[in-house]
Amino acid sequence: MRFRFCGDLDCPDWVLAEMSTLARMSSVKMKLLCVQVIKDLLDEGIDYDKVSKLTSDAKFESGDIKASIAVLSFILSSAAKHDVDSDSLSSELQQLGLPKEHTTGLCKSYEDKHSALQEKLREISLRLGRLEAVNWRVDYTLSSSELKQVNEPTVQLKLQAQDPETDSTQTTVVSITADKFRVLLTELKQAQTMMNALQ
Amino acid sequence: MIFIVIFCLSVVGESGRIAVQFLKKGSNPKIYEGAAQPSLKSCRLMLSDVVGKLNVWSGSVQHGLEGLMYLLTESCKLTISEEDFQDSVLVLGFSEELTELLLQLYLENRKEIRQILSKPAPSLPHYHSLEWRLDVQLSSRPLRHQLKPTVTLKLHLEDGARRSAHVLQTDPATLQHLIDELERALAELKSSHCRRILRNIK
Repeated sequence: MRFRFCGDLDCPDWVLAEMSTLARMSSVKMKLLCVQVIKDLLDEGIDYDKVSKLTSDAKFESGDIKASIAVLSFILSSAAKHDVDSDSLSSELQQLGLPKEHTTGLCKSYEDKHSALQEKLREISLRLGRLEAVNWRVDYTLSSSELKQVNEPTVQLKLQAQDPETDSTQTTVVSITADKFRVLLTELKQAQTMMNALQ
Repeated sequence: MIFIVIFCLSVVGESGRIAVQFLKKGSNPKIYEGAAQPSLKSCRLMLSDVVGKLNVWSGSVQHGLEGLMYLLTESCKLTISEEDFQDSVLVLGFSEELTELLLQLYLENRKEIRQILSKPAPSLPHYHSLEWRLDVQLSSRPLRHQLKPTVTLKLHLEDGARRSAHVLQTDPATLQHLIDELERALAELKSSHCRRILRNIK
């Protein structure tokens, strides 16, 4: 059975198994649990006390609580990943055996936070070596030990970037002469026009 | 080890427990830092208690404990059966109840001690997670109007407590080749040769 929210693949067995666990909760409590899980996915922090209060009615053990949070996280993030609309998500979840009231509650929370979830997932996508800061300074060299009258401007550029493998910040300092800097600027402006054309 | 013969029964039970504690805490060097210090201290307190009860030199108690630990680890390493354990211990000339107690200790803690012993074995860094990204190169400084797809992978590996990340880049054809090779490796498990070997191990 292919499901769109699983990316046109089979639904994992553990998700199927946990549907019965979710059905044990009342649909109102499950909607509130969805809200908490979405907050966790958006890195706003999950309130575990509230979660345990919500699940205490259905007498969930700690294993059940973990399982229900895991399955809700999977469904919501996977649906956002594959850009599934809430109607298809609702019909697919009902096919998996989730009762109708629970499904409507889940899909309502999903629809509300759909774009916020996608934004967050876009942010955490793989990016290597992010540029964190750029600092510059223009100097004017008057004279040096080699030549009495130098009279040349130079640009000192300090780039702070993230190392792709260790995720620590690395600083690079370069000094550029006026001509080289002009070339660099033209090339970067050409790249910028190309990027703007794409957007 | 002959010294243990002089122990009274309750003390052997107590020191047997201490020996298992030492095995559990002492075998993992990381635990020595910080957290387990209180439990090691409590082990030492129990030791000094035993010393006080018996009115003997603490060094011989230490030797006795080490002897017990050695007995337990060797028997767990070889997973010897109950009868073999009893026979080997009888050779040392202990009383019936002592042998019985040692046997009980061995049987109860066998599984756990085996688990602890399996940890320090040399291991390779293993897979933790994989992030990927699909890009298309549209133009570069020398050449405009290109269309070059690349897949960037960040492989996260874990080796004990150390995490390392490796960044790799490939074009889709190589990626497909990689996938085919890995699927072929998985399919090897289903070949008759492998199945025969797995059947014999199980």
